[in-house]
Order: sequence, then structure tokens, then C-alpha cells
Amino acid sequence: MSAVASTSRTRDLGLVAWQIRYEQRAYWRNRGRGVFTFVFPLMFLVIFASLDKGAHIHSLGGIPYDDFFVPGILAYGIIATTYVNMAISTAILRDQGVLKRMQGTPLPRWAYIAARIGSTVVIVLAMTAITLALGVAAYGVHIRASTLPGLITTLVLGTAAFTALGIGITRFIPNAEAAPVVVNLTILPLTFISSIWFPPIGMPKVLIDIAKLFPIQPLADGLQHAFNPLTTGAGFDGQDLRTLAIWAAAGVFLMLRFLRQPQGEAG
Amino acid sequence: MAMNDTQTNEPVIEVRDLRKSYGEVDAVRGVSFEVSRGEVFCLLGPNGAGKTTTVEILEGYRTRTGGEARVLGIDPAPGQRELRERVGIVLQQSGVQNDLTVAELIEMYGRYYSRRRPVNEVIELVELSEKRNTRARDLSGGQRRRLDLALGLVGDPDLLFLDEPTTGFDPGARRQAWSTIRSLCDLGKTVFLTTHYMDEAQHLANRVAVMNAGQIIAIGRPEELGGRDLRPAEVRFTLPAAWSLGDIPDVPCERRTLEGDRVLVVTREPVPAAQRITTWALEHDIDLGHFSVSQPTLEDIYLELTSSVRENDHTTAREAVR
Repeated sequence: MSAVASTSRTRDLGLVAWQIRYEQRAYWRNRGRGVFTFVFPLMFLVIFASLDKGAHIHSLGGIPYDDFFVPGILAYGIIATTYVNMAISTAILRDQGVLKRMQGTPLPRWAYIAARIGSTVVIVLAMTAITLALGVAAYGVHIRASTLPGLITTLVLGTAAFTALGIGITRFIPNAEAAPVVVNLTILPLTFISSIWFPPIGMPKVLIDIAKLFPIQPLADGLQHAFNPLTTGAGFDGQDLRTLAIWAAAGVFLMLRFLRQPQGEAG
Repeated sequence: MAMNDTQTNEPVIEVRDLRKSYGEVDAVRGVSFEVSRGEVFCLLGPNGAGKTTTVEILEGYRTRTGGEARVLGIDPAPGQRELRERVGIVLQQSGVQNDLTVAELIEMYGRYYSRRRPVNEVIELVELSEKRNTRARDLSGGQRRRLDLALGLVGDPDLLFLDEPTTGFDPGARRQAWSTIRSLCDLGKTVFLTTHYMDEAQHLANRVAVMNAGQIIAIGRPEELGGRDLRPAEVRFTLPAAWSLGDIPDVPCERRTLEGDRVLVVTREPVPAAQRITTWALEHDIDLGHFSVSQPTLEDIYLELTSSVRENDHTTAREAVR
């Protein structure tokens, strides 16, 4: 009995791996939707970092501008490839009836979602690698071994939170045309007060406090903390990680609710 | 194999007093029928009759609110993997991952099933060989529909649900799809078909059920549905202007009419009637144009069945208002 159970478990994990391959193939082939979510952050990185090349931020202890901006844009890149991409593509798959079709096959629903998450993780890894490679090679950013634990923890928690939120938010997106609007409305205003594009210098305290309630600021700040040359210790920012963990939990809760809702009952 | 043998005599689908309500609205109001192995069973009915709800309960997309249902001996509750392994579903409107090619999609979906047909075999079956490396996005409507059929067949299902399978097909492609579906039944597969095309039901179905207002109002072989085989036949032809209705010999008939130059003879004895009329025409050297003898079509019967119920509904509604 347990042998049967474990064989089917192995088979299901094989199915997840199988599905990740096809999700990847579909993602990289779609220039309009897939690749642009990927290219956008990198484009911003090159533009902004080139504009302020060699500048320093005095209010942050005189650290190089790029040590602030590269991790900030990395946070934006993670959000674009997880939250934005996941929410929009899931809404489209739902509208087109792909989710319903998948539900009619023996592929367990959890395995399909797991594969979509797995595929997103592959994209996040590629995004992170390219951003950091550019940062190190072109903009003099250093990845320090001492803050690596904090960097990796922040990346993992941020990816988890925004991926789960991306799937979970689909419940609140009425149709695929509304998806970009809902997604941008929930993300874009916050990025301006969340240390993504510029340091929060001279910003009213109330805006900073608001930003700290949402997950974008903690992700950007956590990564910036790990890249800050003045940081001592392992690069963990307790408050950032706590907020991210709470949002990750909320995201997983929403995602599980989405998972339980059968596609057929909608119509 | 032994398992299949014991199941041969069991109905593939068994529905008893099936009900589904959405709040106050009763979409399905006590439906019962059985479908046997190797049969093409067709569910007809106007939009809103409860067809889709019934089918989606059997497909495991919706839960029923009452009655019994068994599909391949299994309760079709949502998420029944054992059932999904043996059932193919071709939905009316459901997309695919548009950036993948025909061959990739068939390969990808095939892997979900523990028993599956080879990719090339499926591609050839639905005649998409030339499009095997085309992305789904770039297929025409008819080609997409054939891809849908391919994805329904790739798991080598015992039972195939087909919802409007040939919408958007040209006549040749439709004939081809019909022969594909027929060939499945020869292999012992069962097909549950919903369609709006009466010729499709006529051509494919062993049995037809007509649904209206959440209930089955007629069920039977397409030739016999609604007493179709017992209806009088219609003999039609055109009469040259020199002749009138009174010149035609008496034949046993229920009525005969002349509209313009077109004659209609409604008769329960079409063979002697046709014989007498044609003999008369030959004797007098009259050219009867467009001569035909026909039974009412499935469409005639269907429209009659669904319209009478519709009128009854209006009557009850009016009575309720009073």
C-alpha cells in the first residue's frame, strides 16, 4: 500500500518537473507578455544606474548610489517576474479556459500550481543572476560573503510572498483585461514610496510608515541592507523579514483559497 | 482486461433523478438516463435547458444538489483522479497554452495520463500532421477544434465528452470528424455528445435525449424520437402550370396542398401514393419537378418538442400571474 502511494508520489513529482519544462518553454516564447516582464527591470537598471553613475548618497552614510539602486531594482525585478507575471498570466489562463481544461485532466491541481510556481522560481533565479552580474560587472556592486545569509533569506521570502500574492490576487481580478490595471494599481504607487527608484530622503514620515506596512518596501530595504557596505553582521533586517513573512503567509492563504475554488462553478 | 469484461454490461453513465439548483433557480429538475458502452449518446436542447449543467456534473466540474450519478461506476465528484484517467473532455470553449506547438501540447497533456496514445498516432487521427510544429496561437478555428479533440483522445479514454465538437468545421472536415468519432465507438469507446447541429445528432447518435427547462422531454433513437417514425410522410413535387391540384389522382392522404406550383401531399402510405402519382404523370407525359418523399427531419421534431414545451411554460406562467 505504502509502496503504491510512494510510486504515485514519485510519479506526481515527475509530473511537476515535466510541467515546469513546458511552462518554461511557453514563458520564454511569449515575447509580449513573458519576456517584457523580464526585460523591463533590466532596462530600468541600465537607464537609472547610467544616469547616476559614480554618485553617492550622503544621507545614507555616503554609500555609492548603485549599492542602493541595484538591490532596489532587483526587488522590482522579483516583483515583476512573480507577482505581476503570475497574476496576469493566471487571469489570462482562467479567461481562456486553460485552467478548466487542466482541471479535466488527471494532473492534480496542486501539481499544476506547483509547476507554475517552480517555473516562476526559475525565472526569478535568472532575473537575480542577470541583475547581480550586471551590478557587479558594470556598476561596481559587491556581493559580500558575510551578508549572503541575509540576502538569500530576503530573496526567498520575497519570492514566496509575491508569487503567492500573484496567484491569490487573481480572485479579485474580474477578467484578463482588468489584470494589468489591478496589478499596476496595487504595485506602482507603492514603488515610489518603497525605496525602489530613489532613497526615501525628505519623504514624509507617514508615507514611510505606510510603505513599511506593505511588502515592497521590506523586500527592497532588506536587499539594500544586505548590499550596504556599512552593514555589519549577516545582512538580516529583522523588521523587513517579519513583514515579508506575514505577507507570505497572507499570500499562501489567498493562494490556497484560489486553489480550492473549482473552475466549473464560475459559469 | 478482466476488469473491462465485467464492466461491459454495466452502463457507462447512470443518472437517477439528477438535480441541481443555484439558489432559487432549479437548473436541472430530476433527470434520469443511462448510456451503454460503445454508444454515442446525444443531449439536445435549447440554450438554458440545463444541458451544460448536466454534462458538467458528469464531467466532475460541478456538484449535484440531488439524485444519483455514476460515470464508469465512479461518483463524478470534483477531483476524482481515477475517473479523470479514463475520461476525455472536449469542452466547448477552452483554450490551450498558446505558445506551445500542436505536438508539444499533445505530448504535454498525454503525460498526465497513465495510459496514453502515442503523440504521432493522435496527430494523424485528427489530421494535424502538417501543423504539428505550428503554435496553437496560429491555428485556424477548425484546426484548434481538432487539437481539442486530440487532447481529449490522448489519454485513450473509455468515455469521451464532446461539447459542440464540429463548430467552425467546413463540411469535409465535419464528415472526417464524424468518421473519427464513429471509429472510436467501434473500439468500444463511449461518446457523450452535446450539439446544436441536428444533422450531427442524426448522423452520429445511437440515442438522443431532448432537454428543456431542466428536464428530459423525449429520449430515443434519432429515427424514432418523438414518434418521428409514426409521422406521416411528405411527398413533394412541382406541377406544370397547365395542371391543377384536382387533376392529380386520389391517393390515401391526410391532406394535399398547392402553393404556387409546389404540391405537398401528407400521407401515411407514401409508397402507394408516390406510385400512383408517378404513374399518372408518366401516362400524361407530365414533368414533375423536384420530386421527393421524406419523413419529418430530426430538426422538425426537435423544434416541435421544444416549442410546445415553451408554450406550456408561458401558459403556466400566465396562470401563475392570475
